[in-house]
Amino acid sequence: MKKLNFTLVFLVVMSLLIAACGPGGAPAADSSASAGGDAEPAAAPAAAVDSQLPVDVPRQEVFVADQIFRYSVVDNFNFWINGPHTPHRHALFMETLWIRDQETGERINDVASSSPMYNDDFTTLDVDLRDNIYWSDGVQFTADDLVYTVETLKSNPDLNASGWSTQLNQFLDSVEKTGDFSVRFNLNGPNPRFHGLFESRWNGIYMMPKHVFEEVEDPATFAFNPPVTLGVYTVTETDPNGFWELLTRRDDWERTPAGIIIGNPGPKYVLTIFYGDSAKKAIAMSRGELDVYFDVDFEAFETTLDTTSTARSWYTEFPWAYPNEVSTRQFLFNTESDPIYANKDVRWALALALDIVDLQTSYIGGVAKVTPMPIPPTASLAAIYLDPMEDWLQNLEIEIEPGVMYNPYDPTVPDQIAAWAEGEGFSVPGTPKEVFGTGWWKYDLDVAERLLLKNGFSRDGSGNWLKPDGEPWKMDLQSPPDENDAFRMANAAADMWGDFGIDVNLQGLERSVWSQNGYVGQFEVSTPWTSFALASGDAWTRLRALHPDFYVPNGEDYRSKGGGSSARINDPKLGELIDTMQNLDPDSAENFAVTEEFLKYWVENMYDITVISFKKFVTWDERYWTGFPTSENPSYMPLYWFQGGKFAFQSLKPVGE
Amino acid sequence: MTLFQEYILPRLLQWVLVIVIGVTVTFLIPRLSPVNPVEQAIGRATAFQTLSPEATIAMRESLLDLYGLEGSLWGQYVNFWKRILRGDLGPSFTSFPMMVNDMIRNAIGWTIGLLTTTVLIAWLLGLVLGGLAGYFQERWWSKLLENSLITIYPVPYYIVAFVLLMILAFYFPIFPLVGGARGTPNFSWGYISSLIEHSFLPAVSIILGATAFRFIMAKALAMTEVSSDYVQYAEMAALPKRKILFSYVIRNTMLPQVTDLGLSLGSIFEGALITEVVFGYPGIGYALYVAINSADYNMIMGVTLLSIIGIATASLLVDLTYPLFDPRVRYR
Repeated sequence: MKKLNFTLVFLVVMSLLIAACGPGGAPAADSSASAGGDAEPAAAPAAAVDSQLPVDVPRQEVFVADQIFRYSVVDNFNFWINGPHTPHRHALFMETLWIRDQETGERINDVASSSPMYNDDFTTLDVDLRDNIYWSDGVQFTADDLVYTVETLKSNPDLNASGWSTQLNQFLDSVEKTGDFSVRFNLNGPNPRFHGLFESRWNGIYMMPKHVFEEVEDPATFAFNPPVTLGVYTVTETDPNGFWELLTRRDDWERTPAGIIIGNPGPKYVLTIFYGDSAKKAIAMSRGELDVYFDVDFEAFETTLDTTSTARSWYTEFPWAYPNEVSTRQFLFNTESDPIYANKDVRWALALALDIVDLQTSYIGGVAKVTPMPIPPTASLAAIYLDPMEDWLQNLEIEIEPGVMYNPYDPTVPDQIAAWAEGEGFSVPGTPKEVFGTGWWKYDLDVAERLLLKNGFSRDGSGNWLKPDGEPWKMDLQSPPDENDAFRMANAAADMWGDFGIDVNLQGLERSVWSQNGYVGQFEVSTPWTSFALASGDAWTRLRALHPDFYVPNGEDYRSKGGGSSARINDPKLGELIDTMQNLDPDSAENFAVTEEFLKYWVENMYDITVISFKKFVTWDERYWTGFPTSENPSYMPLYWFQGGKFAFQSLKPVGE
Repeated sequence: MTLFQEYILPRLLQWVLVIVIGVTVTFLIPRLSPVNPVEQAIGRATAFQTLSPEATIAMRESLLDLYGLEGSLWGQYVNFWKRILRGDLGPSFTSFPMMVNDMIRNAIGWTIGLLTTTVLIAWLLGLVLGGLAGYFQERWWSKLLENSLITIYPVPYYIVAFVLLMILAFYFPIFPLVGGARGTPNFSWGYISSLIEHSFLPAVSIILGATAFRFIMAKALAMTEVSSDYVQYAEMAALPKRKILFSYVIRNTMLPQVTDLGLSLGSIFEGALITEVVFGYPGIGYALYVAINSADYNMIMGVTLLSIIGIATASLLVDLTYPLFDPRVRYR
């Protein structure tokens, strides 16, 4: 018996030993980094000692950023080929000629020192370059690097990340150095948008260090590890499993574009780390092991506010989230799936059967801006399109019965949402239009019904809609649940259209399946996202994909000809307007006027039901760092994973400084 | 010669057949999926940016070539076998230009380390505790063990994992949230201790459920043995209880347990998908999850191939070693 007791004791001791191995070697977690973390700046050094971050750097010297996904391509920094991951990295150490900031809409000179300078017929483009920036190995950046970059990409089809090689061959005849810090591009033909290849929304053609790549036998298989950078940071340490990466600020940060523009050193280290889903990001922030995350679901964001007193998003209070990423969400119809969706009256009826105030508040939580067209109501784009079009929207009429016109626009929507917010006890940080966007379509089931009846629809004995052929109207609505707002929007529509008498089958599909269905047209209604205009206001780049030249019938991949119409729209009028835009200066009033015509035509036909713009709960913890862009200080976009995110990093200052 | 012809050879042929069929099915299934890896790759490339139509077409052609997806299904199948026999699993579609061999090499060590340890610990704990509880059925600790483990057993694994994560990484932030170790690999004590630290929560989450399962099985088997004539006789002969427990009871419960251990070790190569995703652990299960979501055919096939070979080989080894454990098989 004693021996049996000994066996039991042995097992218990073994279990304890195993347990003891757990935190073994690991510093105990700092109490200030636990739930409800300490807001006192003085706590930072203490937390630094106890950090469980994967690298040995003082916590108060490192800014920890959510790495939005786990890198599966590790130790390869050749960003000119397809494959290696660029988010954050291109913000921190890759440069192009210009950056277009999505918050301000401004063009920022990155490597260039001038705006694009075209000749009168847009066949040449001159660019002046900064003469005071250097690669991280101490070599000065000159026009030779730009010329080498362009010629190398042009001559090597495998260096086709972002389609750069193809597009340079398509649009560019030659590039020549006109001085040590100036370059001329000779174009194949008139092209006022060629500079767009070098003007970053997401990215622009990354500069190559000529002195490194010219020594390489095959640039397409070169891993460029460690990278010689033109940006502020260099890569110090990488996780072989792709969960994190440590970057160190260059000693000569003042010789980089972001360093020169901001004039602030920024953090000595940046650690990007992927923790996983929303819950784990919220936990990491509460532990003081994450300074910024790019987005989480609403519940995790609320948890962050509850557990991390120093955390905040764009607004300190409701509606919190950053609302100005240049993209919008819509219901899109496959016009060749069922003939009813090719009928604009049907699409209008569905728009009028949506209660936008209920959708935006009950389903989206009141935290995204409303817009009736694929143009997000950011300050800059509202000024170019939405504000000037407000009168047109208010006077817009649609024919609901022969000879009977109807005005569908309700300009009071932002006011109604503001009233809801105040009723919920929130204060609205600005005018209703600034915070909640534009007006939208009236919720008018009577008119929706009249539109359907006009087109041969009828109701059965239960009040459910029958299509003109007498069959019950069953709608296939597809949406990816991992795209939170899109799926919530789809749920709202399923409820509202269901109440209206349509049998809606909402399918929440895994992202890759949802995408694939979209590519080949296996859907009736879907919830994609897009913006017709770039942050600059130019829309041609995006709209060109809707040109009838690239139309592909349903059943084939809609991108077979390179086009972008998953709705299978084949409308010559759209093509005419796109052709008109093509040769106009993208920054000109003429270009914006033609785009406005395009938008009016799009809305009149209700080719999609655009509902809200993007919002991101990009949230940061001010426990260790301050200076991230905010609604009070909207200097730059907070979208740090874009190439232009470099300015947000560069603006950071240690707490207490 | 008779042993080889009658016992070993049929099992070897069966092993080869299982692998060939398994590999063929693995080749076909992703291709029957509606998800196309080239379209997915273009989708990823255009998620953040706008490509000109011409660039989109060029990218599609280039990807078809790079991924080896041109040509007929039969041609792809033949090329696939040629590559397999060369030990080349091709490039990853999602993580191009990484090779699948390299990706599996990077991930498999973590999975083998975690799952071999946990399977062995859970197996030993289940076997011994179950044997003890079956032999000493009326003791208070036996009932406590049984009630505790029977309570844990039906709880879905992901709940156990999430509860552990919440308690030991959030409310009491003792363990790290992500990764397999701290820093880059080296042979220092700091790195090794961080390996243990990072694997502790995933390991405990697996051991809890797996021990409970094996405890229940071992206890039931032990109870049957306890009532057998030879144990009763040993009791009457006043043999030491330790000898009865280990030499008569537990030893005789081991045959199905050894089978279970063999198959469990063989299935290690499948990875521990939920564990690795919940705890952010860099194993093969996580890699498979990403591959399935993005139609990375080559990676799916690489991991599945490994899993098929692992399980088939484990079954073969269990079959071949049965005679060592069971004299009845040996005599037959």
